[in-house]
Amino acid sequence: MVRHSKLRSWLTILGIVIGVASVIAILSMGEGMQQSVSSQLGDLGGDILTISPGVSKAARFSGHGMGGGKLPSSGTIATAEEIVLDRIDLQALKGIPDIKLINPIIRANADVYFLAKKGSVSVTGVDPKVWSQITLNKIEDGRMLGPSDANVVVIGGRLSRDYFDKPIGINQMITINNMAFRVVGILDNEGSDVFMPLQSAYHVLDDKEIGIYDSFEIKIKNEEELDLAIENIERKLMNVRHVTEKNKDFSIYSSKETAERVAEMMGSMTMFLAAIAAVALLVGAVGIANTMFTSVLEKTKEIGIMKAVGARNKDIMMIFLLNSVLIALIGGAIGVIFGYLLSGLLPMLMGGASGVTGKLGSSTIVTMNSVVLSLSISVIIGTLSGVIPAYQASKLKPVDALRHE
Amino acid sequence: MDSIISFRDVWKIYQMGEVEVPALRGITVDIKKGDFVAIIGASGSGKSTMMNLVGCLDTPSKGNISLKSQDIANLSESDLSTLRGKTIGFIFQQYNLIPHMTAYENVILPLELQEEDETIAEKRAKNVLALVGLKDKIHHLPSQLSGGQQQRVAIARCLVADPEIILADEPTGALDSVTGKEVLDMLEKIWKEEGKTVIMVTHDLHLAEYAHDIIELKDGKVVRMEKNNKQK
Ligand SMILES: Nc1ncnc2c1ncn2[C@@H]1O[C@H](COP(=O)(O)OP(=O)(O)OP(=O)(O)O)[C@@H](O)[C@H]1O
Ligand SMILES: [Mg+2]
Repeated sequence: MVRHSKLRSWLTILGIVIGVASVIAILSMGEGMQQSVSSQLGDLGGDILTISPGVSKAARFSGHGMGGGKLPSSGTIATAEEIVLDRIDLQALKGIPDIKLINPIIRANADVYFLAKKGSVSVTGVDPKVWSQITLNKIEDGRMLGPSDANVVVIGGRLSRDYFDKPIGINQMITINNMAFRVVGILDNEGSDVFMPLQSAYHVLDDKEIGIYDSFEIKIKNEEELDLAIENIERKLMNVRHVTEKNKDFSIYSSKETAERVAEMMGSMTMFLAAIAAVALLVGAVGIANTMFTSVLEKTKEIGIMKAVGARNKDIMMIFLLNSVLIALIGGAIGVIFGYLLSGLLPMLMGGASGVTGKLGSSTIVTMNSVVLSLSISVIIGTLSGVIPAYQASKLKPVDALRHE
Repeated sequence: MDSIISFRDVWKIYQMGEVEVPALRGITVDIKKGDFVAIIGASGSGKSTMMNLVGCLDTPSKGNISLKSQDIANLSESDLSTLRGKTIGFIFQQYNLIPHMTAYENVILPLELQEEDETIAEKRAKNVLALVGLKDKIHHLPSQLSGGQQQRVAIARCLVADPEIILADEPTGALDSVTGKEVLDMLEKIWKEEGKTVIMVTHDLHLAEYAHDIIELKDGKVVRMEKNNKQK
């Protein structure tokens, strides 16, 4: 039966292919997104807090977005000039028993020269004693900053590899605001930041004043008591800064919180994708049903002929059952292959997008579940929509089926 | 001799919306095994309706029809299909071949439906195709055959399961007179040599002369039933 009007059969198969392929591609996008988020959430230390001057958490949150480093950077905030963090704050924090480590940070953009080429990068001054224990960055080559370091830097992976014409290697010199620094470590990330000891940073970053910090990075002792620690820190800082809940001029920011927010966002994103997938599935199913239905209805006369030459209703059902299962399986299998290819292409197609949407389709994963789901839907819908009209036609009196044109 | 087909006061009434159209009005006939019967009558007199009832393609509104002494009203849908497959061979005016199947596939289909042994079926299908003179055209699709050749495929399909009864509704209606005569000669030969019961609908009185018996219908009633004296 499949040979009958080959074009028609192939169109039916095409309808199934499109339905199945789009469902698989969309599901793979959702799955990829979820996996990349959960792997990121795993990276975000749950025991790290960032304290920065200023009030608006939301502004900062959207400010550094998803595209930035894995570290919740405190960024430079417009109001930072008036509201600052200083030694008094640092002293106060040191007295809080929940805190294990404090890394005071300053950060600004600076000109960097390498082999007579100029660039502009973000320079971060960190406490070299603490930084290596608190940062989530990993070293790819060389080492982290150590306690006795001066005039050395650790640089981001992208800065090392791609920023200048030639890669910057370990022990090479770069010049930042007219001071020479030796590169001792290269980070395993996509950043182009430069990390250096705080004292050096005060030296090269002109507008930074010793004793004034852009933010504190804090590691607490017990991750389980994060909320309590935040509360204690908040109380203490409000106390020394003489502010109340109302005019609080600093914010404490936990990566866990971001993680939760991101998870929430991704959750609704996944819901959205699932809704699209459901629509694709529905459209696919309707397409399959429609083509099957019409192609079987067109065969009503044929069913009449077959009954005239001795086909029983169950013979007819069997022929159409086999036919539609075959078409649905062929279409489904080709659809799975195309869906697989499509999901491989998606990251390229969506590569240009940035921010949260950049995550969408930036990695796609075809799961067994999505294959099974879309295949079984194509087979079930395809079979039903092939067999139901065949059943109805077989119930006709042969003379009526024969009259059908 | 027992009649192989018998109609007892058979009515067929079509419901056309509000209106009832009586196509057959109390037909009572007996056809004996080995008869060659021509059903004639004006257009709309109920010939095709009667043929469809004989072939169990349709059911009567009233009355009884027996095939080989079985009342068909007592047979199930699947029994009727089996009966059609084994006992009755149809030849239609419009051939009614399955368009995407080759001549051979069309002919072997009834045997496949009866789950006949493959080698036997193949041999039988090739035999009947040779019998109707289409040995070299068995892998042609219906669309690749002339009308006369298509009708011969239909005859081969009708013969393949060795039915006792052959029903032909205007078998030459779509053919020119020469080809039509060829087809009828073939039918007559089969009737004579294989002793089958043949019922043929025609409005061509020349063709009716091939038959043994003639039944004439008018407005759904039998108005004449006689031996054909002029039989060729
Ligand atoms: N499906 C149907 N629904 C309603 N009326 C029908 C139907 N089939 C046949 N009739 C009517 O029944 C009557 C007999 O029709 P039938 O087809 O048996 O005539 P016929 O003798 O075969 O004519 P023809 O020589 O033109 O083929 C006609 O009046 C026709 O209009
Ligand atoms: Mg007719």
